[in-house]
Amino acid sequence: MAEDIAAQLKNCFLFKGLSDEALAAVAQKASTHTLAEGDVLMRRGETGDSLFMVNEGWFKIVTEDAQGDELIINKTAPGETIGEMALLDEAPRSASAIALTPARVLELKKDAFYEILDQRPDVALTIIRGLSSRLRFSTTYIQKAIDWSQKIAAGDYEFIENTQQALRKTESDDDKAAQLLSAFFQMVRSVKARENDLKEQLERLTLEIDEARRKQEFEDIVGTDFYANLKERAKRLRAQRAASQDEE
Amino acid sequence: MANRKIVSIHSFRGGTGKSNTTANLASQVALAGKRVGIVDTDIQSPGIHVLFGLDETKMGKTINDFLHGKCPVSEVAFNIGERALDSEGRAKLAGMNLWLFPSSIRGREISQILREGYDVNLLNEGFQTILKELQLDYLFIDTHPGLNEETLLSIAISDILIIVLRPDNQDFQGTAVTVDIARSLDVPNLILMVNKALPKYDFADLRKQVENKFHAPVAGVLPLSFDLADNGSKDIFSLQHPDHEWSKALREVAETVLAIK
Ligand SMILES: Nc1ncnc2c1ncn2[C@@H]1O[C@H](COP(=O)(O)OP(=O)(O)O)[C@@H](O)[C@H]1O
Ligand SMILES: [Mg+2]
Repeated sequence: MAEDIAAQLKNCFLFKGLSDEALAAVAQKASTHTLAEGDVLMRRGETGDSLFMVNEGWFKIVTEDAQGDELIINKTAPGETIGEMALLDEAPRSASAIALTPARVLELKKDAFYEILDQRPDVALTIIRGLSSRLRFSTTYIQKAIDWSQKIAAGDYEFIENTQQALRKTESDDDKAAQLLSAFFQMVRSVKARENDLKEQLERLTLEIDEARRKQEFEDIVGTDFYANLKERAKRLRAQRAASQDEE
Repeated sequence: MANRKIVSIHSFRGGTGKSNTTANLASQVALAGKRVGIVDTDIQSPGIHVLFGLDETKMGKTINDFLHGKCPVSEVAFNIGERALDSEGRAKLAGMNLWLFPSSIRGREISQILREGYDVNLLNEGFQTILKELQLDYLFIDTHPGLNEETLLSIAISDILIIVLRPDNQDFQGTAVTVDIARSLDVPNLILMVNKALPKYDFADLRKQVENKFHAPVAGVLPLSFDLADNGSKDIFSLQHPDHEWSKALREVAETVLAIK
């Protein structure tokens, strides 16, 4: 059983580079769970104290939008981890995880993690490195997204051509980053297209007046009884007001 | 010798920015130390109260009550300089002499007045009373778009008429007729103001085009601004963002109004 688990751990990025012997030590502390489609692995707001590694199956990571509707913020594939931040902090779960297919996960409890930390600092260090590289990766992309957003706000879309090529060259191997990028660039492209449409309208702008219609509409209004009275009245009212103001 | 002025803000179509213009101009003029009133005569689609943070709970008597003979017009006055300071921009109006005469936002009252109509003479008397009782230097009138009888009346009695237009052919056509009417009614001061001009446009050229077409001065060309749209009429934009291009152009218009003797 523990051997099975060790084999599964190998597939997880957090344990990349660990010796078989070290993997076996972790495997002893982990437990396996089987889930059916629709089962909730963790719930947003709960205090979480374990990390899950997905062996089989897919999960959706969901939160709620302002209207209370479900908002899928991510999908995880086999080999990925869910809830890893719980090993480091005490904060409640920031999202829920629900199985999209029948699934099997490994659970590593915080207490077990601390035991490993105590007994096998080498293993713990590998795990921490894995966690922090992921964090660093996110932070880098957040920083980039901030820079780009500022450029877009200033109406500068030039960066998009250069950036995309540069990124393709570095061949980012992270799916999530690729998704973020593609969504971002799609957005920039639509903003740019909308702005161009607007510019075109502007160029077509020729201001003209249909003089015949203008005359006709004017005559329609001044021809009414109301208007005939109004003109006289307006004159009188203005004179009255001027006179009464002179007295003040 | 008093010198009180009625300033009507008009546009051919709704959504042109009349209420935003009126509220911002009146605020700027009040900030210059003048005593200022604002009457919302857009009884069918009132809007200016929002810019001063008034909702159904805050709103007391309205112009509708006055027109139905339920109260004297003085009871409709809402003191902005004391009671509408709950936003970043409006807070700057503290202690200023600025009063709003709101129109009712209750559906029932709006449909009643539309159904039964009202006496335009009474409305005019109301203007005179307001001017005198509050010793106003300026009374701004936010009008209903188009050229119905009530709007014709407020144009007719204006000392200053500001026509707000968007730079498009539909507004050009409608504005032309309003300009002709204002001339025929001998309105002493006719001013044009272009709003929602696309920023990439050559504003100087646009101003010239409009002035040439209508033979009337353009007091300002105000840009179409996402910041202003985003403000959602929740605050007095030119007070909240005084350095914005829209606010600068708006202040030009306010200065033109203040310069008229
Ligand atoms: N220059 C502008 N740029 C962008 N939005 C504007 C501008 N002027 C007005 N708006 C927006 O247009 C809408 C209509 O303005 P409003 O002042 O209520 O017009 P009106 O009283 O003529 O119907 C509002 O949502 C307002 O925020
Ligand atoms: Mg309005």
